[in-house]
Amino acid sequence: MIAELINPYYLQVASFMLINIILGISVYITLSTGQLSLANAGFMGIGAYTSALLTIHFELPIVVGIIAGALVAAICGILIGIPTLRLQGVYLAIVTLGFGEVIRVVFVNWETLTNGSVGISGIPHIGREILSTLQGFGFNPSMLGLQNNQFIFLSIFTLLLLVTIFIIWFFRRQHSSRVGRAFAAIKLDEKAAESMGINITYYKVLAFAQGALVAGFAGAMYAHILAYISPADFAYHRAVEILIFVVFGGSEVIWGPVFGAFFLTLMPEVLRFISEYRYMIYGLIIIIMMAVRPQGLIDVNMLNWFKRKRVKGGHKHGAGNQKGM
Amino acid sequence: MLIEQLINGITLGSIYAIVALGFTLVFGVLGIINMAHGEIFMFGAFIGVMITSSLKAPLWVAFAGAIVITAIMGYMLERFALRPLRHKQGVSHLAPLISTIGVSILLENLSHHLFGAGNHPFRASFAEINFQIGSITVYLVQIVIFVISIILMLTLSFWLGKTKAGKALRATAENLETASLLGVDTKRTITMTVIIASAMGGIAGILVGMAFNSVTPQMGLSMGLKGLAIIILGGMGSVRGAMAGGLILGLAETFIVVYGDSGYRDAIAFLAIIIILLIRPQGLFGQKIST
Repeated sequence: MIAELINPYYLQVASFMLINIILGISVYITLSTGQLSLANAGFMGIGAYTSALLTIHFELPIVVGIIAGALVAAICGILIGIPTLRLQGVYLAIVTLGFGEVIRVVFVNWETLTNGSVGISGIPHIGREILSTLQGFGFNPSMLGLQNNQFIFLSIFTLLLLVTIFIIWFFRRQHSSRVGRAFAAIKLDEKAAESMGINITYYKVLAFAQGALVAGFAGAMYAHILAYISPADFAYHRAVEILIFVVFGGSEVIWGPVFGAFFLTLMPEVLRFISEYRYMIYGLIIIIMMAVRPQGLIDVNMLNWFKRKRVKGGHKHGAGNQKGM
Repeated sequence: MLIEQLINGITLGSIYAIVALGFTLVFGVLGIINMAHGEIFMFGAFIGVMITSSLKAPLWVAFAGAIVITAIMGYMLERFALRPLRHKQGVSHLAPLISTIGVSILLENLSHHLFGAGNHPFRASFAEINFQIGSITVYLVQIVIFVISIILMLTLSFWLGKTKAGKALRATAENLETASLLGVDTKRTITMTVIIASAMGGIAGILVGMAFNSVTPQMGLSMGLKGLAIIILGGMGSVRGAMAGGLILGLAETFIVVYGDSGYRDAIAFLAIIIILLIRPQGLFGQKIST
């Protein structure tokens, strides 16, 4: 009966939700130093193409491809970050936006390598790979009462869930470490942070590269789950979509992008009639959120309120901070 | 051949310059990047298409219509996306940027629903008229575009430099609080700046429609990105820089199509800004920024 509950379609949606959560976190990391990066769709594309091409042409294992994809994206992040991060935040936003566009143009035009705007198909599928590896050890999905198809999607979902939990755990740890405090100080006031002896260029490039690494990883996973990628997957709309997860959910705490990606991926699936107007609604959400609640739905005050409520058992005192819920 | 390409480049460049002027005016006064400018430009082009092909009206009606509609859009943009953020405590400087990104994707998808995703031809009655000067072919459309751009740039320079409203605008750009203390109605100046910038976007939209004979909902994005590249190239908030930057980009793109790989045409703008940020971060005509 568990077997009947596992619907490949739901698992597919859930997997994309997890990828979106990872992408949202990648923007959150860069934003935690007060820098807005719109290049994460481009980094995602670099990760996806690197991993897809390595696994297709050199028949490398998928794990190697994904790691290589994430690393190449991070290296591009460092290369693009060093010249631009010396400047004000607005420049960075434009240059990263332009960088994403350059990446797309390269993908479209470098036809011998990327197959142009047609895209790459026949990328090794990570779920099937896991299945065939396990079958090599004599495992069969029917031992769990599952069909092959169900097992494939279940394994992808489980893998992504574990990775997402690891990423959230890692960046929550980092947030309360020396690095996280340096990020927060830079976000509050760059000059003050610098005069306190924080190497702001180093930490900004670090945050930028971490964001690129995570986005590249998400892109590589995306390529191996969908088994097909094209330049249009990593264009401006993807960049805006990632941005809105953070804007809607909140950029102060890591739970903001997690919630934003969760809610906004689920919404068009549940309310089918919305999906045609999805981007118009996204636009409206961005405008309204900026005017009404620029820090996003979930912020530090709200988390503190929840914590206090749990400790004091819903004592009235905590309600003072509950604004604009 | 060379001279023809030069003329093509200058025509394209003067359109880019007008688009970039819209960005630079708003940046100069408000200090924000108006990401919705490209989409307002695209709406201007669509209004032009609607008026000339559906209503069969002459070109000047199309210009008037586009100016009115884009000016109204500029007002709405200022009223609903920018003004609510202005005097709010604790708002990050990125908030207006993100807010205008919201406006831009709203407008782009609205135009998908209103006009369809396809390509609309722009029929100017004199599109095919051309002159032969020696071995060079010059189209009348190119001359019209060039003349309109020059008139627009001269008017804007005169208006900014000599009139009272223009001086108020420059004073507001210099320092909002001081201008306000000296009796400039800064709120009105800001609204007026956004409206003028948007109307210029609308005019540029029609010019692009005439030059390329095609209008699509996606054109706002690519033109918007190029406008942004130009103002970084020319220097943020610099009117002269926007004009020069536009011409440089127009010529560079035309020549890469002729002598290089046309596929990379759209990438030049951004390669140029990455280089300029490394060598001269304040742009060609910009003042030094203290960081």
